[in-house]
Amino acid sequence: MAAQELNSPAYPEGDALKGQIANRHLVGTVWRSIFLGATIVAIIALVALVYNVVDESFGLVAVQNDVEPEALVRAFFNDELLNSRNTFASENDDELAAALADDPYAIGFFGYAYYRENQDSLRTLRVNGIEPNAETAENGRYLLARPLFIYTAQNIVRQNPAVSLFTNYYLTYVSQEIESVGYFPASESSIAAARQSWIQADGIEVGLGQWPVINPAGAGGQINIVGSSTVYPITQRMVDKFEAAGFAGQINIQVVGTSAGLRALCIDGTADIANASRAIKPAEFEACRSIGRLPVEMRVGTDALAVVVSRANSFLNNVTDDQLREIFTTAETWAEVDPDWPNEPIKRYIPGADSGTLDFFTEVIFDEELSNLPKDTLVEILADSISLGLGRRLEREQRFYADRLVFESQEVWDEVCAGPEPPTGCTLGERSSYNVYELVLERVVNPDVKLTWTLTDSLLRRADIELEMQRQFPNAHLQFRAWLTPDFIVSPQSSTPEFAGVRTAILGTLWVVLITIAFSFPVGVSAAIYLEEYAQDNWLNRLFQTNINNLAGVPSIIYGMLGLAIFVRALEAFTSGAVFGQVEANTTANGRTILSAGLTLGLLILPIIIINAQEAIRAVPSSLRQASYGIGATKWQTVWYHVLPNALPGILTGTILALSRAIGETAPLVVVGASTFITIDPSGPFSKFTVLPIQIYQWTSRPQAEFRNIAAAAILVLLALLLTLNATAVLLRNKYSKQLT
Amino acid sequence: MSTPFFSNGDYAIEMRNGNIYYGNFRAVRNINLQLKARQITALIGPSGCGKSTVLRAFNRMNDLVPTSRLEGEVLFQGKNIYEKDVDPVEVRRRIGMVFQKPNPFPKSIYENVAWGAKINGFKGNMDELVEQSLRQAALWDEVKDKLKQSGLSLSGGQQQRLCIARTIAVKPEIILMDEPASALDPIATLRIEELIQTLKEKYTIIIVTHNMQQAARASDYTAFFNMDEDRAGYLVEYGRTNDIFTNPQNELTEQYITGRFG
Ligand SMILES: Nc1ncnc2c1ncn2[C@@H]1O[C@H](COP(=O)(O)OP(=O)(O)OP(=O)(O)O)[C@@H](O)[C@H]1O
Ligand SMILES: [Mg+2]
Repeated sequence: MAAQELNSPAYPEGDALKGQIANRHLVGTVWRSIFLGATIVAIIALVALVYNVVDESFGLVAVQNDVEPEALVRAFFNDELLNSRNTFASENDDELAAALADDPYAIGFFGYAYYRENQDSLRTLRVNGIEPNAETAENGRYLLARPLFIYTAQNIVRQNPAVSLFTNYYLTYVSQEIESVGYFPASESSIAAARQSWIQADGIEVGLGQWPVINPAGAGGQINIVGSSTVYPITQRMVDKFEAAGFAGQINIQVVGTSAGLRALCIDGTADIANASRAIKPAEFEACRSIGRLPVEMRVGTDALAVVVSRANSFLNNVTDDQLREIFTTAETWAEVDPDWPNEPIKRYIPGADSGTLDFFTEVIFDEELSNLPKDTLVEILADSISLGLGRRLEREQRFYADRLVFESQEVWDEVCAGPEPPTGCTLGERSSYNVYELVLERVVNPDVKLTWTLTDSLLRRADIELEMQRQFPNAHLQFRAWLTPDFIVSPQSSTPEFAGVRTAILGTLWVVLITIAFSFPVGVSAAIYLEEYAQDNWLNRLFQTNINNLAGVPSIIYGMLGLAIFVRALEAFTSGAVFGQVEANTTANGRTILSAGLTLGLLILPIIIINAQEAIRAVPSSLRQASYGIGATKWQTVWYHVLPNALPGILTGTILALSRAIGETAPLVVVGASTFITIDPSGPFSKFTVLPIQIYQWTSRPQAEFRNIAAAAILVLLALLLTLNATAVLLRNKYSKQLT
Repeated sequence: MSTPFFSNGDYAIEMRNGNIYYGNFRAVRNINLQLKARQITALIGPSGCGKSTVLRAFNRMNDLVPTSRLEGEVLFQGKNIYEKDVDPVEVRRRIGMVFQKPNPFPKSIYENVAWGAKINGFKGNMDELVEQSLRQAALWDEVKDKLKQSGLSLSGGQQQRLCIARTIAVKPEIILMDEPASALDPIATLRIEELIQTLKEKYTIIIVTHNMQQAARASDYTAFFNMDEDRAGYLVEYGRTNDIFTNPQNELTEQYITGRFG
């Protein structure tokens, strides 16, 4: 018998054994890969979710302002300059020059050309140590200078002989003429470079250093020139000369500003030549190219301002830009600016507000951010731009100054504040400067997000995006925007996505969760203790248990219906706070309160809490219970001192999982009557409310793209909230687990 | 019913006609056992014969098994502890229990000892009680410097002595021990046995063991159980340990103690 067994071995050996081992490894590897694959799928899903949300929450936006902040700043400083003491403003430069000539304590500025005409009586100052001349103006070292360009495009030069002819003529003669209109000529190398571009654009063959001879006589055709007011005089001069030389066609010149001129050339395609007092921007260049117009840039000269004093002035040679700020605004005497200068009052002579010269000067010298303007100015800007009614409303919300009223009269104010419902402005302190700045931004600048792009697009398709914006909203500018900002978290809901925030929703969520937990945790844990420790194993308790298990799987909307029937309708007196005399003025919440919502969600997660708590209680080793009973402890003492503390980590984990679910619920709360648009913070269990998921849901259903962005940002807030909650749970659990070992 | 063989009738606890059921299954039948005060009685017998069941019947620990049921009487101080008006919690305080696996509470050593006293309304000096109990359990010298440490940080043998200290602290009259040394190494086992010997001065001790030497060495009386074809346990022989081990009356007893079955 034993021999037989040996002859037919029960287990494989040799090659068969090797095969078995290989097979075993194969099966092991396959399972391992399956598990790994499943994990990877889960991780990819998570990463995709987060990526998707982050992608929407940050990125470029095209913002179009009603009023450019720079224009407000410029207007403010123009006013500052014009209203300073001892300031004489005139649109007539001759008047200024004449007045300046006699007074050794006078100072002024105007176009360099006028200085040159009055060199006998006037003297220019160096600015930051740089003498104004053709060279320093062109290379930009002299601060108060800006370049002058004309732009056309390659195919225009090739297809429209009149343009080709005119630009060629322009480049040939501009340097002769430009000084007569008051600008510095471009350097020879600049002109040579411009000619080279022209030759390339025209595509003609010329030898090195050669230049085709131009004769406009008898030529015809049409040329449209659009753009800068600064470049206009020299272009007009060249047009006159061109026509005088015999050009028989038609030339139109329009003054619309540099940006509009380039738009006409590059986007609308209506202009043949654009006058520009700045270089073309990359986005404009791309826009031109995208309509088949390769831009041709020609520098034709430089505009500069001269800061001038009388020849009789003996102490001024050089000023810094900081000194210029003081000299033209706050300083009363020269000695105030520099103690070495005489203690004589400053007399100022400046061009009037209608001239571009004043704008240019303030732009360069008073280069400030809107937010840095003094509060008084911001209030003034606001007062100039909004209606009196809105102003009064804002003032009643919070006053602008503690000691005076801006929009409201003192009598009305006193009356309103003595009334039965005084507005918040009666008690709050005054608005901060930043707060007023925000109001100006919101009410005056009124930035409107026209287009938004995802983070990925913003990083990878910048050029396309600029083009798209130039095409659709040429007056807009690109700006990187994080939709998730501290402001977003602390601002209440608003119908303008740029100003909307999630504070109301976060508070709503926190309140609802508070009620939910206050209800479901004690009830759930108690029920679990009963079922595990006390309930006898009879049909009734088995029925309870089965019911609870099934309730955990009931769709949440059904809990919503239940909550509506019980808490909102049947128990309205209680959930609306009426029985406590707690109905809040001007709410129409009825039973649709935080309390109803919290109780509904409490019911929803009750089964989950019970089941998890039961698991945790069951996992407490029976040896512990026996030890307790063995020294004469009662059931209650055993449960309270031993079972519960040991089950607590598990109970907490289960509760947090359940709460996470509650925080993310939308459907039952919609049924129970969460508000979709609410700007008032919830103040207690009887308030109207909204919660984060509902806010998100509501935003995602809006058509404008910006709402999608803030929805994504709100999702990030929700995720952060959940993560915080879970982290708290893990910490608590670890703390309790540590206590137990 | 056998005639009592004690010369004086000084019994600590007595089971009369004990039949214990788990649901419909009768685990032990017709047990009649009188246990003498301030003596050590060992319960021995093959696995599954119902030693633990009988032991737990002495302090109503079986109540925790919902299906269990006892027919007959357990007389403690002249009263049947299974009467309706008897509070099982009070029974367990007076008849303490030490389990096979050391099961200290996941609390400090001090609290392990003090907790039982606290919940039972102890009014004396708690520190003294803790020290005294730990001394009686021969553990004081080892733990007096770390009373705040968790009971779980002790070795297995120390943990078991802590459990004994915990039991002593509530001043029981009887201590039930279910294989208290089976999870310990020989040296720890010896220490527990020595401890049991000293405890005998104050307490009645009933101990279940599978270790024949232990029973012979450490006990004054021995009860030998066996089970019949229905797997119901019954008492085969009971008497002074010396007699049982040197001169067993029953053939089964002899076979069991000499290791020929079991
Ligand atoms: N909680 C219980 N429910 C049902 N049957 C039980 C329960 N506890 C013990 N039994 C049964 O009662 C009988 C006696 O068990 P018991 O634990 O008393 O034996 P024992 O003599 O202590 O055995 P061991 O020496 O192995 O510890 C066994 O048949 C066992 O299966
Ligand atoms: Mg046993």
